[in-house]
Amino acid sequence: MHAPATAYATSTPAGSGDAALTDLGIVELGRMLRAGATSSLAITRACLDRIAAHDGTLASFITVTVDTALAQARRADAELAAGLDRGPFHGIPYALKDNVDTAGILSSSHSKIFADRIPPESAAVAQRLEQAGGVLIGKTATFEFAIGGPSWDLPWPPARNPWNRDYLPGGSSSGSGAAVGARFVPAAIGTDTGGSIRWPAAMCGITGLKPTYGRVSRRGVHPNTYSLDHCGPMTRSAADCAVMLSACAGHDPRDPGSIDEAVPDYAAALSGSVAGLRIGLVRHWYEEDATAEVVAAVDEAADVLRGLGAHVEIVTLDPLRDYVDAKTTISSVELFTVHERDLRTRPRDFSKRLRGRVLPGALIRGEDYVQAIRWRTELTSRMFAAFRRFDLFATAGWLAPADPADPDGVDFFQKRQLVTMPFSLTGLPALNLPCGFSAGGLPLSLQLAGRPFDEATVLRAGDAYQRATDWHLATPVLA
Amino acid sequence: MTATVPARPATREEIAVLARNAGLDLPADLFDELVAAYAGIEPMLMRLRRGRDRADEPAHVFDPRKFMPVED
Repeated sequence: MHAPATAYATSTPAGSGDAALTDLGIVELGRMLRAGATSSLAITRACLDRIAAHDGTLASFITVTVDTALAQARRADAELAAGLDRGPFHGIPYALKDNVDTAGILSSSHSKIFADRIPPESAAVAQRLEQAGGVLIGKTATFEFAIGGPSWDLPWPPARNPWNRDYLPGGSSSGSGAAVGARFVPAAIGTDTGGSIRWPAAMCGITGLKPTYGRVSRRGVHPNTYSLDHCGPMTRSAADCAVMLSACAGHDPRDPGSIDEAVPDYAAALSGSVAGLRIGLVRHWYEEDATAEVVAAVDEAADVLRGLGAHVEIVTLDPLRDYVDAKTTISSVELFTVHERDLRTRPRDFSKRLRGRVLPGALIRGEDYVQAIRWRTELTSRMFAAFRRFDLFATAGWLAPADPADPDGVDFFQKRQLVTMPFSLTGLPALNLPCGFSAGGLPLSLQLAGRPFDEATVLRAGDAYQRATDWHLATPVLA
Repeated sequence: MTATVPARPATREEIAVLARNAGLDLPADLFDELVAAYAGIEPMLMRLRRGRDRADEPAHVFDPRKFMPVED
């Protein structure tokens, strides 16, 4: 059931030159760049070649920005050669989810509504990554407006799972998850309102971090739910997440949700140790509703952390359903408010899945919306009180492996509770990282969450786990 | 906790009234979609916690400084 990751690690052939570059993460690539062992241009070309060879059936990209990528890679190489080092993200290729605005580049949110939309200004997160010297490879598929998916009635098909193309990659940052999982890029930006970074990270065998609410600016990111929207890194490892988060975090006075809190050196926090950390294992969120394989894998991951010196103790928080109910009520109202004009005048231009998730928000009474955000206060306060006893919470990253790509399949909202939503509602930093495989060879995931703005401890624990395990090193075979 | 609100699932006719009040003038097939979708949301509304103290604040903070014009 939980075979060693190496059993799946049949990646690009050893010694295959530039192809091997796509097997590496941000930290290793940065080391090679600074040692003169490769160039940003070589890495970028390797990514573009792999996308050209394999994305036809994965559909993880909506737009591949070849010219922009090559130009930015050449500039990064010239700057590094001249002694201008913008930091560990300099020269690293990355992708942006297509609900993130990019000046002069299609930013469609995977919707017919925005099928030709070319914004004049880039989102703050895109600007920061460009300033950090990143190389934009392209824009990735998403659920329509980060909510309506998977949908087969849109201008672009839904992305597929790199571990098995008959399966889905989760969502809504589906293309970002698939692209990182497929080793098309070492890093991507996703957005997360109820789990949209962490779910695809779990399904694609990668590491995804939803930072604290307000940590990364959402200016220029198409809104899903104003009071719950986050954006953050999706990479191979916690160490790579630390580098990408450092490149994109920070206060933005033009984002009303942004919080002016100092940004620490996340990479410096990766001590490799969890000794003495107090971890509350929220087992009741997954023990009954998750598949047996997920339960076993998450329990085993908790044992690994225990073996590394963490004090892992089972904790009971509010029922998962309470968080899901409050979050979904809030989101439904705000989502409808975002899309009300187009839903009233051109509803058929949206996918059926989007209409099904957003239209009911029009019928929710004002009192119910306020009751839901009062409930949010209660749930958050009780969860924070539990931090008196714990430094981190651990639970499942998702309750099942990936779903089949079936246009007539049951909506995932109706299948299982969304175990990512508690940390969406409470705004806490939460990291999903691989912790096993199903019998069918699909990734399984552990979720770690920490105190507000304590991404450093979350990443430290994730990195320590990944130093002791090799699940995150597994690479899917792309035939 | 107060009694469940609403006390029972809405009928199609009641959903039609709610939709009309919301300014939705949907063709028949899309109204059918709405009825099906609302059936997924309505149980959540019925489970919402109510009956709090009058002074219990929602999880929102309005900081007027956040909406001051910012120089580029």
